Amino acid sequence: MERVGTTIAWFALIVVIAFLLLPIVVVIPVSFTEATVFRFPPQGFSLQWYEKVRNVEALLSSLWLSTQIAALSTVISLLLGTLCAIALVRGRVPGGTAIATFMTAPLMLPGLVLGIAMLQALREVGLRDAWWSLLLAHVVITMPFVMRTVLSSLSLFDFSMVDAARTLGCSYPLALWRVLVPNILPGFISGALFAFVASFDNYPVSIFLVDVRTKTLPIQLLNYLEISPDPTLAAVSTLLIGLTILVLIVCDRLVGVRRMAAI
Amino acid sequence: MSVSAAAPPASSLSAARAALPQLPRRLDPLALLALPALLFMAVVFLMPLLLLLWASVRAEGGFSLAGYVRVLGDSYYIGVIGNSLRLGLVTAFGALLLGYPAAFALARARGYAQAILFALVFLPLTVSIIVKSFGWGIVLRRDGILNWLLINLGLIERPLRMLFTEESLYAGMINVFLPFMVLPIYSVVRMLDPRLSEAAATLGASPLFRFLRITLPLSLPGVVAGLSIVFSLAVAAYVTPSLLMGDRYMTMSMVMAKAFLNLRDWQLGSAMAAVLLALAVAVVVGAGLLQRRLARHGQ
Amino acid sequence: MTTMPSLAVEATAPARTSAPEHLVVSGATKRFGAVTVLDDLSISVAKGEFVSLLGPSGCGKTTLLRCVAGLLRLDRGRILVAGAEITRLPAHKRNIGVVFQNYALFPHLTVAENLGFGLRAQGVSRAEAAPRVAEALALVRMTEHADKPVTALSGGQQQRVAVARALAVRPSLLLLDEPFSALDRKLREVMQVELKHLLREVGITAIFVTHDQEEALVVSDRIAVMNAGRIEQLADPATLYGRPASLYVLDFVGQSTRLTGQVMESAEGEVTVDTPLGRVRAPGLFLSGSQVVVAVRPEAMMLDGVAAGMPPSAGINRLTTRIREVSFLGSRTLLHLEVPDSGTTVNRALIELPRLPEGASPGNPVTVAFRAADTMVFPAS
Repeated sequence: MERVGTTIAWFALIVVIAFLLLPIVVVIPVSFTEATVFRFPPQGFSLQWYEKVRNVEALLSSLWLSTQIAALSTVISLLLGTLCAIALVRGRVPGGTAIATFMTAPLMLPGLVLGIAMLQALREVGLRDAWWSLLLAHVVITMPFVMRTVLSSLSLFDFSMVDAARTLGCSYPLALWRVLVPNILPGFISGALFAFVASFDNYPVSIFLVDVRTKTLPIQLLNYLEISPDPTLAAVSTLLIGLTILVLIVCDRLVGVRRMAAI
Repeated sequence: MSVSAAAPPASSLSAARAALPQLPRRLDPLALLALPALLFMAVVFLMPLLLLLWASVRAEGGFSLAGYVRVLGDSYYIGVIGNSLRLGLVTAFGALLLGYPAAFALARARGYAQAILFALVFLPLTVSIIVKSFGWGIVLRRDGILNWLLINLGLIERPLRMLFTEESLYAGMINVFLPFMVLPIYSVVRMLDPRLSEAAATLGASPLFRFLRITLPLSLPGVVAGLSIVFSLAVAAYVTPSLLMGDRYMTMSMVMAKAFLNLRDWQLGSAMAAVLLALAVAVVVGAGLLQRRLARHGQ
Repeated sequence: MTTMPSLAVEATAPARTSAPEHLVVSGATKRFGAVTVLDDLSISVAKGEFVSLLGPSGCGKTTLLRCVAGLLRLDRGRILVAGAEITRLPAHKRNIGVVFQNYALFPHLTVAENLGFGLRAQGVSRAEAAPRVAEALALVRMTEHADKPVTALSGGQQQRVAVARALAVRPSLLLLDEPFSALDRKLREVMQVELKHLLREVGITAIFVTHDQEEALVVSDRIAVMNAGRIEQLADPATLYGRPASLYVLDFVGQSTRLTGQVMESAEGEVTVDTPLGRVRAPGLFLSGSQVVVAVRPEAMMLDGVAAGMPPSAGINRLTTRIREVSFLGSRTLLHLEVPDSGTTVNRALIELPRLPEGASPGNPVTVAFRAADTMVFPAS
């Protein structure tokens, strides 16, 4: 009887993994097709779509934009969020739990609602520049991810280690640098990664804040899909998948995948 | 203050002390570090939301609930809300069915194998939702991989029409949100004390009894977390339903997007957004309460 | 009195002479990878007897317990309870109760629900189970806590619930894995006596696992001292203390003076050993020249105020040295004595006295005396 249960569990896991990987894996062979359709199995082998990617100006500029916004908003969130986390963990802040919940609230709300709300608010204030609107909105999007991981890393950190370092001759800032930073670095890195991905991949908020000239990558991709659906999209997708795997491997070397997700 | 001065008389000392500006006793200077983040979020996050709620009750003349009347009164929009709810529930429970046993297997795995399996479940989360929905489209097309498999296995003669059906939408949604179900259940199951099941065995409980009375009840916090996360995400989903069903299956999010981007109907859009917001808050609060009740039984 | 070579297992017969063997383990072997945790181990326990498995961590005692409970499978060997072979039975069919080290109480159930769990698992209806649950509650004096969640209980209360839960299904045998280790010292001493009394009343056969020799001495009829998967000695507490079968057992149970030395003379069942503190005579069968360890229990030593330097008279050993440390322990005082360092082996000398004598302080010279008959000799391993 126990064996039956275990078998069901393992079977389910295999099915889940296969199911999850299916749409991702399918895209890859299609990107190499000779034909201009998405047929499976793909016919022939050609790198023409990858060539096309290089030549589509709009795709490249939107990729650049997404990267910029994601990186900048992540950095800003890290700065503001870490300071806030330090205050919450070490200081006596009135309503500390409420503040922590507030900071992670954007995660719990539908992205679309956030996008609409910010669109309206920015209109009221008179800010029409898409780039700045995107940046502000994306800081809000990335903040919860940073807060969650940095908060949990800090609260697990044993501050008596810093005291020990001080009794061994380090000044307070040096003690923080030598002892605190290396220990919360995993939380930092994994928070930064989640944040970056969340911003890079974001659609529901961005859709309301972009304009004709300034489009983030997901929005550009969807446009492309609607206007001229051809396997170029598959090529872009494959490249993105490759990038993701690369980033994950780097992360695993630095931090360890399981530690990142054990939040 | 000079050390060598004689001690001043008591009354003038206390008078001097009273004259100094007093910091509120409870304000810890470290707490000020939280200020920049707090201010930012208050201005960029909270204010717009409040403005949205405000906009939903505003009309030409002044205060008006017309938006809500439209959203909650019109049978079309009720249908849309129903669609979203249905989508959320089917996705959540579908993900539960698959994800629950999978989470157990993942928690039982050891060492290197577990790390790899975990990464495989985790990796799809990092892939863009656009890519996944697009890939799902390729899978389900008439000339796509699923039909190709079915025909070559001799199970069907002509390709099935799978795209733009409700079933394919549900499958696509479950595909996107499944990791959000597996991860919370996995974290809870991982922490379960194996001695509890052993103790139950020594008391004469068969494996099935042990699962139903010990393992399952103790895994509920993870289940509640998973269900609430997946439901919240699914009920508010926009990209996947648009791509896989388009206008044939209108969800609240799609109505909102149309209202703002195409129709410029602020009232409708805000009201729908407010309803969605209320739903999201209700789920979060409800799940929180349920978790607290479960936690009272001590984990 | 002769001491036996340490390789033989000295076993005394079960306490009740006519009681049948209730639990029989024979030839138990269990390996984890390259490590042999249980090494062809055999033991039998009589009905109603309390036996402790005593040893350091890693000696296999918990593994043996888990094998008897059915939570682990033996690689080789058999287990019989009341004559029936249970070696291949899964845990839930063995009807053997277990009290776990951390109690393993079900956190989502109340005290009463925990107690009734085993009955419900075996198909007893709620109505039928209720009186038995009440009986179990009364047995451990927890009746007024019946509807409390188990997480609200103190350590001692949780332990009582764990015991009652295991007893509620009327098991044929009760296994207890370090049941007192989570309690603080005062409570531990109280609970040891209380539990022994309770289990006697119920009349159940019990096996304890512990690393605490005092605990084993208090609760057991017999103790099995384990070492690396084997039983070194299985005997009642008095025998274990007074006639340990090996150095390992000697070191594990109680304290002692311990001196390495070489046998100088060996005649008529008595040996003379040259130790760092002087010559010692003791009963023993050893060849001249063998390396041995001489041991004496602290309470068997006496102060000898008479001048040092006299040769050991027949029957009495005398050693002269200085006091190293004084330990006042309330009802008794221990004097730790100076012993010249002999390199690798641990030598020590202690004498236990009911009262601190005059002029006894570190540094003062002292002569101790003890009967040759109270002296034990073991081969140096």
